[in-house]
Amino acid sequence: MSKVLIIDDEKHIRLLYSEELEEDGYEVALASDGNNILDRIKKEKPDVVVLDIKMVSSNGLDVLQEIRNTYYNLPVILCSAYGSYKVDIKSIAADAYVVKSSDLTELKNKIAQVLETSVPGKE
Amino acid sequence: MKTIEDNPGGITKADIVVGIPSYNEASLISFPTSQTAIGLKEHFKDYNCVIINCDNNSTDGTGNAFMNTDTLGIPKIYLSTPKGIKGKGNNFKNLFKKIIDLNAHAVVVVDADLQSITPRWIKNLGEPLFNDFGYVAPLYVRHKYDGTITNNIAYPLTRCLYGRRVRQPIGGDFGFSGRMAGLYMKSSLWNEDVSQFGIDIWMTTIAMNEGVPICQAFMGRPKVHKPKDPAADLGPMFKQVISTIFNLMDTYQEKWKTTKWSKPTAIFGFGLGEVEMPPAVEVNKEKLYEKFRNGFNTYWDIYRSIFSSENLQKIREISSLSLDHFEMPVTVWAKTLFDFANSYRHNTVDKNKAIEVLIPLYYGMTLSFVNKTEGMSIQQAEEFLEDMCLVFEQTKPYIIDRWNQ
Repeated sequence: MSKVLIIDDEKHIRLLYSEELEEDGYEVALASDGNNILDRIKKEKPDVVVLDIKMVSSNGLDVLQEIRNTYYNLPVILCSAYGSYKVDIKSIAADAYVVKSSDLTELKNKIAQVLETSVPGKE
Repeated sequence: MKTIEDNPGGITKADIVVGIPSYNEASLISFPTSQTAIGLKEHFKDYNCVIINCDNNSTDGTGNAFMNTDTLGIPKIYLSTPKGIKGKGNNFKNLFKKIIDLNAHAVVVVDADLQSITPRWIKNLGEPLFNDFGYVAPLYVRHKYDGTITNNIAYPLTRCLYGRRVRQPIGGDFGFSGRMAGLYMKSSLWNEDVSQFGIDIWMTTIAMNEGVPICQAFMGRPKVHKPKDPAADLGPMFKQVISTIFNLMDTYQEKWKTTKWSKPTAIFGFGLGEVEMPPAVEVNKEKLYEKFRNGFNTYWDIYRSIFSSENLQKIREISSLSLDHFEMPVTVWAKTLFDFANSYRHNTVDKNKAIEVLIPLYYGMTLSFVNKTEGMSIQQAEEFLEDMCLVFEQTKPYIIDRWNQ
């Protein structure tokens, strides 16, 4: 079973995502901010991270860089209410970018896609 | 090939080498050389450093301009191919040999015509090589119409084939380890195109496929160098880059056939502050259109032997579009490149001819990109390009099917 770590400061979003993803057979771990993210990843060992960008106590794009400095190959999906961050050059370090919606079809498709991604060599 | 060498300091060992390949760049080479020296002094002061100009026996005094540049005490070496031997790849081959002789750990290469290089470029391209990375590609903000071979072919094609998102696979400024230099030197994949402008994509593709840890270095400033109008004559560069991509597709077919989707590549060097925007690049749309139409009419019979029937029909449709409504759908362009790669492999037409007849279609795709992104900011055009790459990835089963037939 693949494990998804959801980092989002909005409680109702965390609940919605965890319910829907668990229903689809994923194991879900939750975090309300990006603080101590490396420890969190070490502990939870997720297969994919779903990361909000605009959070009260942390900026998702900076959290993404922190993750990338250690976990080069861990799939990270940026999930934001704002499409505008997609054009920030820092967002290209993410595997995918999804604009938040109550319909999780796109997010679920992207999760499935990054989990089936297979590339030669290593980073 | 006998190498000409001027090594006034008698340098026999180095930890980090910066190579500057050149051909007739006497008026420009001093600037990247001096910036390199500052970068090495500021960021690699505890290492033995050397700056090497690898030249094509320039007749305009490039070597003198390089050797006379103040490098703050950092030793310089001048290497050159013999008279009559040209090619950026040949310059790199001389550099690879020297790196092995010097037993260098890290190598940074920057273009001799760079006008926007800062000392930080040397840090960002070199530092990852002391942190387990073996290959560092540059990441800079470029104008949406600068680097059209990169945007329309090299980036989307290598990304969809090998699954690595390296935004500037032929950026010209790189970092690589001494071990990689040894791997390149021993490679059996060297050929005439690689010895010319095919070298950049050759190095990047080998790094992607040989299990080498890759990252991208964010340069902070745009790449400003001698500008090129995308509608101007492409010269041999197009042929050398595309032939190299197609040849390596054959070599690494077992790798790309099993590659699904793509992954981002680690990025090194993001700092605080605003990202500087590059100068505008003008495009002559009428000229692009004219070259597309003329080429299409001239080469129609050859296209019939290269394209699949479904794609041939689409291309015929596109040829009837007016300049203002001209559009090459990305799926059609991806299939076009796949059809050409397949034809190249099977020698359906002479290999050189195949690349020649691809050029008008490339002009058509460039025009389509310009029409689509005209009103967009650089960032919006980047987003458009990312969507283009997704279409390439979605279309990939087409090339796998055709390749296996």
